[in-house]
Amino acid sequence: MAANSRKRKAVTRDSPLDSASEEELAEGLLEGILSHSEGESEDGQDQEDVESSEIEGESDEDEDEDEDDEGLESDKVPSDSEENIREQIRNLRTTDVPLEKRTSQLTHEDEIDSTLNGKLEAAPEEEELKCNYTVTTDANGNPRYLYKEINPVYDSDDSDAPETTNTIGNIPLSYYNAYPHIGYDINGKKIMRPAKGEALDALLDSIDIPKGWTGLTDPATGKPLELSQEELEVLKKITRNEIPEEGYDPYPDMVHYFSGKEEIMPLSAAPEPKRRFVPSKHEAKRVMKIVKAIREGRIQPYKPPAEEEEEQDFQVYDIWADEVPRPDHDMHIPAPKMPPPAYDESYHPPPEYLPDKDEKAAWQEADEEDRETEYLPTDHDALRKVPGYDRFVKEKFERCLDLYLAPRVRRNKLNIDPESLLPKLPSPEELRPFPTTCAVIFRSHEGRVRSVSIDPRGNLLASGGDDGYVRVWELLTGRQLWNVKLSDEDAVDAVRWRPGKDVAILAAAAGESIYLIVPFAILSPDVEQSSRDILDAGWGYAASNPSSSANGTTTKELPARWSRPGDHLEDKGVLVQATVRSAVKVINWHRRGEYLATVSPRGQSSSVAIHTLSKHLTQLPFRRLKGLAQSAQFHPSKPIFFVATKNSIRSYDLARQELVKILQPGAKWISSFDVHPGGDNIIVGTYDKRLLWHDLDLSTKPYKTLRYHKEAIRAVRFHQGGLPLFADASDDGSLQIFHGKVVGDLMENATIVPLKVLRGHQVKSRLGVMDIDWHPREPWCVSAGADGTCRLWN
Amino acid sequence: MTRIKKKGTSGAAKNYITRTRAVKKLQISLPDFRRLCIFKGIYPREPRNKKKVSKGSTAATTFYYTKDIQYLLHEPLLNKFREHKAVAKKIGRALGRGEIGDAARLEKTHIPKIKLDHIIKERYPTFIDALRDLDDALSMLCLFANLPSTPHVPPKTIALCQRLCHEFEHYVIVSHSLRKSFLSIKGIYYQATIQGQDIMWLVPYRFVQRTGGDIDFRIMGTFVEFYTTLLGFVNFRLYTSIGLVYPPKFNAKSDEDGGELGAFQLEGKVVPREDKPTTNDDAPQAITSAEAQAEADKVAALAISEQEKEDETSTALVKADSEENTEAIDTFETTAQDADILPQPQASSSEIASLFAPFTIYLSRETPRAPLEFILKAFGCKRVGWDGILGDGAFTTNESDPAITHQIVDRPALPSESLPQVPDVAETETRGAAPPKAQWPRSTMPGRTYVQPQWVWDCINQAKLLRPDLYAPGAELPPHLNPWVKPKKGQYDPNVPLEEQELEGEAEAFEDDEEEIEGKVSDVEEVQPTKDGALAGVEAIIDRDSSVEAGEGMDVAGSESESSNSDSVSDQEAGGDEWEGFDSEPESEISDTEAARRQHQRELEAEATGSAVQLAATTTKSKNAEIRKKAEKKRKQEQEEKERLKMMLPRRKRKLLERIEYGANKRDKEAEVLRKKRRRIENAKRAAEAV
Repeated sequence: MAANSRKRKAVTRDSPLDSASEEELAEGLLEGILSHSEGESEDGQDQEDVESSEIEGESDEDEDEDEDDEGLESDKVPSDSEENIREQIRNLRTTDVPLEKRTSQLTHEDEIDSTLNGKLEAAPEEEELKCNYTVTTDANGNPRYLYKEINPVYDSDDSDAPETTNTIGNIPLSYYNAYPHIGYDINGKKIMRPAKGEALDALLDSIDIPKGWTGLTDPATGKPLELSQEELEVLKKITRNEIPEEGYDPYPDMVHYFSGKEEIMPLSAAPEPKRRFVPSKHEAKRVMKIVKAIREGRIQPYKPPAEEEEEQDFQVYDIWADEVPRPDHDMHIPAPKMPPPAYDESYHPPPEYLPDKDEKAAWQEADEEDRETEYLPTDHDALRKVPGYDRFVKEKFERCLDLYLAPRVRRNKLNIDPESLLPKLPSPEELRPFPTTCAVIFRSHEGRVRSVSIDPRGNLLASGGDDGYVRVWELLTGRQLWNVKLSDEDAVDAVRWRPGKDVAILAAAAGESIYLIVPFAILSPDVEQSSRDILDAGWGYAASNPSSSANGTTTKELPARWSRPGDHLEDKGVLVQATVRSAVKVINWHRRGEYLATVSPRGQSSSVAIHTLSKHLTQLPFRRLKGLAQSAQFHPSKPIFFVATKNSIRSYDLARQELVKILQPGAKWISSFDVHPGGDNIIVGTYDKRLLWHDLDLSTKPYKTLRYHKEAIRAVRFHQGGLPLFADASDDGSLQIFHGKVVGDLMENATIVPLKVLRGHQVKSRLGVMDIDWHPREPWCVSAGADGTCRLWN
Repeated sequence: MTRIKKKGTSGAAKNYITRTRAVKKLQISLPDFRRLCIFKGIYPREPRNKKKVSKGSTAATTFYYTKDIQYLLHEPLLNKFREHKAVAKKIGRALGRGEIGDAARLEKTHIPKIKLDHIIKERYPTFIDALRDLDDALSMLCLFANLPSTPHVPPKTIALCQRLCHEFEHYVIVSHSLRKSFLSIKGIYYQATIQGQDIMWLVPYRFVQRTGGDIDFRIMGTFVEFYTTLLGFVNFRLYTSIGLVYPPKFNAKSDEDGGELGAFQLEGKVVPREDKPTTNDDAPQAITSAEAQAEADKVAALAISEQEKEDETSTALVKADSEENTEAIDTFETTAQDADILPQPQASSSEIASLFAPFTIYLSRETPRAPLEFILKAFGCKRVGWDGILGDGAFTTNESDPAITHQIVDRPALPSESLPQVPDVAETETRGAAPPKAQWPRSTMPGRTYVQPQWVWDCINQAKLLRPDLYAPGAELPPHLNPWVKPKKGQYDPNVPLEEQELEGEAEAFEDDEEEIEGKVSDVEEVQPTKDGALAGVEAIIDRDSSVEAGEGMDVAGSESESSNSDSVSDQEAGGDEWEGFDSEPESEISDTEAARRQHQRELEAEATGSAVQLAATTTKSKNAEIRKKAEKKRKQEQEEKERLKMMLPRRKRKLLERIEYGANKRDKEAEVLRKKRRRIENAKRAAEAV
């Protein structure tokens, strides 16, 4: 149809020669004029009716345009299908509207021309049209149209002239309501009221639209596209975004193709096998297995674990029954203990610890972490007024956190308190046992008892006194078992049992002689025999090596004369007598019992002698000794020999034969000394009332100087049987017992604690206790008193 | 050529492991790791060179020792944790399905029981090691024994803690190993010495503990779990070591009645001997009447005296000589000065253990029963009675029992007229349920000593019975001192008189300072607002000074001491003005000359007026100043000498020295402040006494 309209336009403009069309055109123009003029409306209508059949196809555009107007003006919603179609068509054709306007303008142009010319009739108009150009023949003989010059006068071009404008001015249109026109145009002609909705509807209704008309061309066939009602429906649904097909369910209910529903008809018609009705052999086998296991007790019937568990929670036993100390790992840092509370933590502290106002304010203002103490010292004048401490749980919790969360670092403390290095005093219970009471008194000696000794088995006590007797006692009962008078004029100055449990040899010194005694008839026969054998061995040696002794005699005087003491003594068991040059005061055995050292203080060069038992040989180790020899002793484990002179103690290495150390106790006159069984400590007793403890590792000066006695100290002695005890005997008639613990650790000093003063001996002519000896195992000691008694303390 | 060693493959980088890596290595969750560390006693370390260990990163991290973690890998508890996790999953699933019964069954039967025995043995190879670590355990368990039960702290745990603590206390009582105790504001500290190990623990006062704030009870619970196991084993060992059966018989009913210690009955392993210490054999016999009790006491006393006699005779046999030989250690006296004095342990525990043995002690209702009962029994008191309200297990609940020798009261003494009269108190000597006689504080029993609780603590700390009149009810108690602090050199010691501690010239300096302060009496008032007596004393001093200063004569002072405060203040201010120039710059030479000039001027004035009082006052002042100046000069010289020496030191050593000195200086300063306070208080007291 668009093509049609374009064709027509071309005709209206460019083919004025086409006569038939001219006619139509003229009519069309007139028609247009008529349509605008009231007077000829009737005729025009008729003509139109007449020609309507002819122009129908061409004048569609106008109609459409009208319809457009109508669509704009009437708000009537198309209800039926025909109107819908129209609407669609209208929408489709909106693009063509400006074109039509142009054509209508053209028609107006013509109309104005005609009015200008003032010729109302069609003929002159035709003339004028003809006059518009002249036809000449061109050079080729073809007709050539020569158009007249256009006279460019005013109004010659009214292309921008306004459309018919109403000239009624500024009056309301309602004044014309009663009239068919609505005003007058510039030429004074009535402007007719445009057709309104009903009229147009009536017109459109009168035009019948063929069924299925769409106004579209089928691109495939070129024919007008016709759509059926169903197809339209589909289109409509598509445009509404609906599902086009009727009755389509997008969400159908699920259909269970395979269900658990049992079908009536089985799939297989096979008969049930027999095994389904017979008890299973396999199962029976397994059941029997279980039954057997239960019978045999391999499977225990289930028992719900009941209250036993509760008991188990508290099950305790001695977890440390077989404890073995294990040294801590080097990297282990034990958790530090909580420090003890300070003075100001007291509920009722001394008033100077209470904070004054400023301090209190400062504490309260400070942040919790900045405070030096987590509490503020407060004073409560009675215990009942003490409130609960509200940070208690928090502090304990923080301690827990510290224990498991805080990295531990070992820091070297700068200000080491010297007090903290002091050893902690052991409690009295730990110091036990020590001798406290006198258990046995041994009385028989006349005059002083000079020396006592307990035999290595711990059964016998030997004592020697001023009366020249050596007596042997039963230690526990105090019964005298044996005695011998060694000398009439000399006192027995020293008695010492030989170390070693298998033999019992007693060495006693009276005057210049040393007697080696095997007490007769109080020992078991085999012990006695072995003791005698040891003593007798030396005789053989002396006999086989006469040359050495012979040499000795030729060069100088023998250091000692070994001989048999004589029959009446030998009968008692005194087997060997060795006589040295001066009176022997001290005897000490070597730990193996092979050697014994004697000291005779007056003897100058021969003051210290070492006797070899198996060879009956005596040696004088020192050619000249500085000072007066007081005592001599062997080191308990090393080949070292200690000699005490009047105010120093020297230690000699026997193997290398050289001086090792000189100890300076700082005493005026050393009376005796003893070496600790460990060998590193020495106690020294002096006549100037002092007891000195020497640590050989520390220095040559005493580690401790003890002055607890009022009179001279005669004897000192360590316990040899493993107890950390030592004792001293003094002229004031008392013994003092000390705890002296030596630790293997070099860093730790020995702990010395005074324990007990044992009094009992009477002081006679300013002499109190002369000698002391410890029991080899028990915490017992025996003292020899100037009052002629010996006492056993336990 | 050797291969180039890769960084971070040896040394510190290898020795330490971060916590995250440790947790990953052990394949357990962080809470489980935490538990494991607590049980095994594994703690983080601080590497010496953090940068090397953390391979350059500077983020703050926790490091563990790699060997420790490797050692954890073999821990059987790890498997238990994993099992527990599996069961927890099952339980969770069952609960999710709503199968409560299943969940309960799983929880009851399948949750693995964690046993810590092997860890105890591992951490404490010997019993002594365990004792050494008992401090924290006891403190913690005592706290938990006093906590209210919450979802975090189940009642079962609390009961267990209580039981263990009481058992331990019983051991301490029986073995008499309690040494010291201290009442602090936090709680009560106890110290026992068991097998040579000092064990100190803290028991809170019986109040509801504040558990708010960020306290994680899961961590504490883990610790408690470990500590309960430890203390169980320790108790077992302790009990068996003294021949008692463990666990002791527990009387639930008595415990419900508040028996506490009395709810346990100790038993010997074999046939109980005569002297077997059974702490509460009296407890079950309900003592109905005072007379019956008195009879029982008599019998007991007879038995004791007989025993003593026997002892005497037996010892008499042993004693051969006139000297008495006791088991105790003798004290050694040195006979000359040049000897070393060896320290000896104090009186043996057996003496201390029987400190309260001859007494029958009654605890009043308001006293804390549990600590008193524990301490008294630990120090030999077998007969401790208390009011029936305080719980079960008392020796007697009858306050008027004539056997009672001491009564511990913590109530102020009230004037008798303020108390309502009790009718008919005299004739109540009838049998049976005698109506209670008028008791403290209405009347006192003749022959009974009334003391405040602090007496008990001070007695045991000093290991001797103290004068009870100092601790009488209502009396101002002497300060309660801590028995553990051993003051170092230069530290303030409240036990020592002030004069012995003060530095040279300090007292004089203080006096001058005090006068300066006296210029502003209001200051003094602020410092000592409560101590009225003290304030009065200070005023008295002021009065005397000012009156002398004004040159009015002594007769005014007596009357003025009673006069109002404002009077004396104004007087003082009048006097203070005169002194200002002198006090403001006491050290400078100029001021001294100025003072001398003024002195001269004053003398002249005095001469003119004809009074001679001033001279005496000024001479003491100047003497003080002289002493002080001398001391200060000396100190200054020493300081300079020190500085000079310090200059000679190399820088490193100097710094070290400074670090050491820092602590000492701090200590000195603290001591000085305390001394100053004490002097002020003492002066005030003296002045108050003088008035």
